[in-house]
Amino acid sequence: MTIKTLRLILVLSLPFYSTGQSLLDKLEKEPIDTVAHVLGTFQGTRISIGHSIETRKKNTLEVSFMSRYWNVEQETSNSFVADRMCARFGLDYGLTDKLTIAAGIGVPNGIADGYIKYRLAQQRANDKGIPFGITILQAGTYRTRSIIGIEQRDNFFDKLASTTQLLIARKFSRNFSFQISPTFVHRTSSISSLDDNNHFAVGFGGRYKVSNHVSIVSEYYYVANPLESVETFGAFSLGTNWQVKNLLLQFKMTNNQIFTEDGFITQTTRNFNTRDGNFFFGFHATYHIQL
Amino acid sequence: MNKTLFLFLFICMKSFSQNVEYIERQGEVTFFSYTSVENIQAKNAQTLSLLNPNTQEIAVQILMRAFVFQKSLMHEHFNESYIESDLYPKATFEGKIEDFNANASLQTKLIKGTFTLRNISKPVEIKATISKTDNSYTVKGGLDVFIDDYSIKVPALLSPNISKKIEVTFNFKYAPYDN
Repeated sequence: MTIKTLRLILVLSLPFYSTGQSLLDKLEKEPIDTVAHVLGTFQGTRISIGHSIETRKKNTLEVSFMSRYWNVEQETSNSFVADRMCARFGLDYGLTDKLTIAAGIGVPNGIADGYIKYRLAQQRANDKGIPFGITILQAGTYRTRSIIGIEQRDNFFDKLASTTQLLIARKFSRNFSFQISPTFVHRTSSISSLDDNNHFAVGFGGRYKVSNHVSIVSEYYYVANPLESVETFGAFSLGTNWQVKNLLLQFKMTNNQIFTEDGFITQTTRNFNTRDGNFFFGFHATYHIQL
Repeated sequence: MNKTLFLFLFICMKSFSQNVEYIERQGEVTFFSYTSVENIQAKNAQTLSLLNPNTQEIAVQILMRAFVFQKSLMHEHFNESYIESDLYPKATFEGKIEDFNANASLQTKLIKGTFTLRNISKPVEIKATISKTDNSYTVKGGLDVFIDDYSIKVPALLSPNISKKIEVTFNFKYAPYDN
């Protein structure tokens, strides 16, 4: 067989190969015009104690129960399991996919709070567009009772506080997400002239997914100008989040008992360790309802 | 001289063998999971599919993120925890329609091919109804997908909520494809 005939056979068979390009390969080349955002940077609206960039989708309601349990320093205690506990009951509702509003009430510390949270930007999948998500949070609280006695309590307006946070987070891999949150806290009154009514802080939070349903989370808040009249420490938390269908269970070890941002960021009077009085065990349960 | 002849032959053959293909860009794929505890349903209206009536070949590409659920949390869990769409963004099917008659107005045929989900390929047989109008084809049908076949892990706590057998139905309307 000559080279020529070989070539002829080769060339004749070529067209069949070219149509043999599979249909799937052709589909692969079809453009997809949907914008894909990264899903689930964090599991809930709270990383552990503080807010995450996550908002709730439109027409969804979350009913949350947050609690802390701790022992007092006296060694002779006859309490069952823990000496003290406090809790917060909250409702979070998604007005749109990007806007979430919420209200909550704490017992027995009597803190009423509410927040508005709006997603300014979402991290895009496939490394296109903006490489992180940005959410803005505005929260306000009213303290019906004194917590550590730093504010004046003469009239309604003395007992208010507000927190503004810019939450910036990136999902680095399918398992690891990290958030930085510059924070501004304003308190309407102070008893001591040493204390500034305005505080600047930065929050750091991370999540590592250990399985499809369980993740480990940690948070730390650094306050640039802490209270002067009382010694305070940065709020810290280490815990796990467990997602069971509509229920998000968050377990944590922390150094504060307050659930609202202005409280735990600026008024954490205990440093984190496992001694009685300093160690707070936290449990949050959040039930998700699609309306 | 020889070379130009080859080239000529090549171009001729290629143009002759060029087949007319049909495309669907907004195909509907729906899946159902029925259990006594909970019914789950999701719909995808962005499925891509190509049909070649001459070679009887059919190919489907399903973007997993494009499934829409009644409950938004389910969408997140579906993508994050079960399908893991960040790792496996697409499900595909590639197959051949057995004894396909490109001119029949209505026929029910068996499509034999390979379904790939989460990078796991399994041979499947799909019974489909194919109808032809003027210059388009409609292919409808369904298949059962067993989640164990594609190593979709459901925690023991949630196994009563998610069926082992997922019923998938599809409805594709094809228009001529010019590439």
